[in-house]
Amino acid sequence: MRSIRHFFEQSWLLIVASFFFGLLIAITNAALSPRIEQNRISKLNELAGGLLPEATVFTAVTESIEITALDGKRQTVPVYRAETNSRTVGWVFQVVGSGFADMIELVVAVDAEFQTIAGFDVLSSNETPGFGDQIKGSYYRDQFKGAPTDGLTLVKTGDATAIDSEIVAITGATVSSVAVVRAIDHYLPQVKTQLQQKGLIGNGN
Amino acid sequence: MATDSDGQMCVYKDTLLAGLWRENPVLRLLLGMCPTLAVTAAVKPAFTMGMCVIFVLVCSNVMVSLMRDRLKPHLRILMFTLTIATFVTIADLLLKAFQPEMSDALGPYVPLIIVNCAIIARAEACASKNPVLLSIIDALGMGAGFTLALCVLAGIREVLGTGKFFEIQVMPEAFVPWAALSMPVGAFLALGFLLGLVALITQKRS
Repeated sequence: MRSIRHFFEQSWLLIVASFFFGLLIAITNAALSPRIEQNRISKLNELAGGLLPEATVFTAVTESIEITALDGKRQTVPVYRAETNSRTVGWVFQVVGSGFADMIELVVAVDAEFQTIAGFDVLSSNETPGFGDQIKGSYYRDQFKGAPTDGLTLVKTGDATAIDSEIVAITGATVSSVAVVRAIDHYLPQVKTQLQQKGLIGNGN
Repeated sequence: MATDSDGQMCVYKDTLLAGLWRENPVLRLLLGMCPTLAVTAAVKPAFTMGMCVIFVLVCSNVMVSLMRDRLKPHLRILMFTLTIATFVTIADLLLKAFQPEMSDALGPYVPLIIVNCAIIARAEACASKNPVLLSIIDALGMGAGFTLALCVLAGIREVLGTGKFFEIQVMPEAFVPWAALSMPVGAFLALGFLLGLVALITQKRS
């Protein structure tokens, strides 16, 4: 009995404070979480809207699209259907790749039949300023617009303006350039197969 | 009585000013170096970080000061950390809700305020020994000093590293940005020169 009493004498403040602080965080979280979720959705919509300008609504695909990530782990990819007047105009999904310093999160948009890439944008990254972060620039990003979905290759030199499967790397930022191409190349066929299996897109024949 | 309240005012003023220069957490005590080096590539994130630190410092100092008479000596660090972690979590949520862009830019450095020595040092050195009002003034002074130091460092790095200040172009077109200053190495260099300058000024004064 004495030891229990001693325990409470010593730690009552800690116990009371833990409950009080826990409550404080719970209240703040409950009050702010709808707004935080809204911010996340609007950021994704803003990026996706820039990639597929003709789309008016982006709705999350209810079927779970599960693929193998670059590190070999199974992962559920958030996929969105882009629509105009209830007609599908494209698909948008999130891609995660490992960049020079940190993970790179991308939003990739493709056309309705999964034939060509409509473009990509960077959701979050931590690449070197002035070098790796040029993956956000138009020189690099524009090369993906209209590129085929069946495999991209990265080249050191070439015509960056040509619309083909060859992506010209950014000078001084090869690692970041490779990371984006590798991540997109890795996710695209898997997401396509999954969507075909779920009957959301035709199988291309 | 008059001299008493005068003396009190003097203590408040002294506490407030100590954080700004004499005991500036970044430039004089070298506390909280992690955000100082990590988020000072531009003024806007540095300023946001400073505001978060002021919020956490004031709230945690008030809480610690309120419970100072009931603190068990061997549990005090645990209580400080618990208090600080709570307010950092709240600050992080507020930032995510109202400043999502800045929340993205600051990334993990907002949750990392929990381990910022500048805050726990104030809880230990001031709030756990002094009444609430003095603790608030101390938090405001220290927080302002921290923010000021971060903004000065970020100002130097942003102007020379990108040619902009608060995202507005200030340098002439012909200016070639010193990209190195925007990188981590630039943080170390700029901080080193700034600390040298501060040491020079204090040496001259004494």
